[in-house]
Amino acid sequence: MPTWDDKLPIYQQLADLLAAGLLEGEPAEGEPMPSVRALAGRHLLNPLTVNRALQALADAGLLEVRRGLGHFVLPGARARLKEAERRRFLHDEWPRLRERLRRLGIGAEQLTWEER
Amino acid sequence: MSSAAPLIEARGLGVHFRAKRAVDDVGFTIAPGRVVGLLGHNGAGKTSLMKALVGLLPYEGTLSVLGLEPRRQRVQLLESLCYIPDVAILPRWARVDQLIRLMQGLHPKFDAARAETLLTRTSVRLSDRVKALSKGMVVQLHLALVAAIDARVMILDEPTLGLDVISRKAFYEMLIDEWCDGERSVIVSTHQVEEIETLLSDVMMLNEGRLVLSISLEEMDRRFVALSHDAAEADAMAAAHPLLRYRTPDGAAALFDGTPPDAVLARGRRVRPSLVDLFIALTRAPEITPPSLRS
Repeated sequence: MPTWDDKLPIYQQLADLLAAGLLEGEPAEGEPMPSVRALAGRHLLNPLTVNRALQALADAGLLEVRRGLGHFVLPGARARLKEAERRRFLHDEWPRLRERLRRLGIGAEQLTWEER
Repeated sequence: MSSAAPLIEARGLGVHFRAKRAVDDVGFTIAPGRVVGLLGHNGAGKTSLMKALVGLLPYEGTLSVLGLEPRRQRVQLLESLCYIPDVAILPRWARVDQLIRLMQGLHPKFDAARAETLLTRTSVRLSDRVKALSKGMVVQLHLALVAAIDARVMILDEPTLGLDVISRKAFYEMLIDEWCDGERSVIVSTHQVEEIETLLSDVMMLNEGRLVLSISLEEMDRRFVALSHDAAEADAMAAAHPLLRYRTPDGAAALFDGTPPDAVLARGRRVRPSLVDLFIALTRAPEITPPSLRS
């Protein structure tokens, strides 16, 4: 059964999940999103919750609503998401990470870009 | 709930068996397109309420289901309402295709082709006999049979009781994907609150026959405030009179009806109130309270 945490409203968690998919090109730009009912069935969510999640993505400029046809991924959605992710990293994650590095006494020269 | 004409309207609804009041002065409306969870402990009155809705039990008060009076207009009502009772059984000797033909003969709004399409989602085959199916498959077959009725209200009494987790998931997946279309409404009773929480648009909680809460999930999120807090704040939380104090994976939490004062809010982190916690807070099961502590 689905596991949602209690930190955020469920529609927001679904929107984040769908946005993560879009960032991976799933579905690709110009392609339709799965239908509300398909998403509701897959994630065992009330269709109203799914609607709110899709609406949130549309409000964020990632999807467009075509009357009678459903939601489609807008051109440029991936670039926009990636930009938002970059901003979030630089604003929220990086200061915390920097603070942690400082506490642990890890300097830039000890960090390597090569994957082992 | 939405402003569209309600599918179900109950006022002062009561059901009793001799002196015992199984359902006591219950009032609610259910609009089109809702998925309503009916929650309550054993004996809380869920089954009696559902039976009254489908005209199987006499009741007091006013009750309108699809504009009809269930007790007087039961036959007409059943054309647009489908019901799986908690004791639902299908004849063990019957083959699936025979059941489909039987339904076709019994119900004017039953669509045999639709039933067959729904069954393609499952591993049930038309040539299978009921006795050869697993419990989970029988329940899916049952849902496929009633979901192929072009009805406007579906009433499910503990439909997934005794099923394993995969069968329960498949059941609800078919219900949401194939039956809920934004116009039809479903009422489903269950004990397994946490499993259906996210499926619901509304929740009704019964406690000893009385409706202790009838609310949309959206409204519930606004009205009830859950605060996760550090152990050091426990006394301050308790002093603010929460409905319930409980533990989460992240530590202690307190559940409030309404927004507590800012000074209390500042001592915790707001989290999404869970239906299970609310259920526990509002329907403390009398059977788990030692007799010596009962008021």
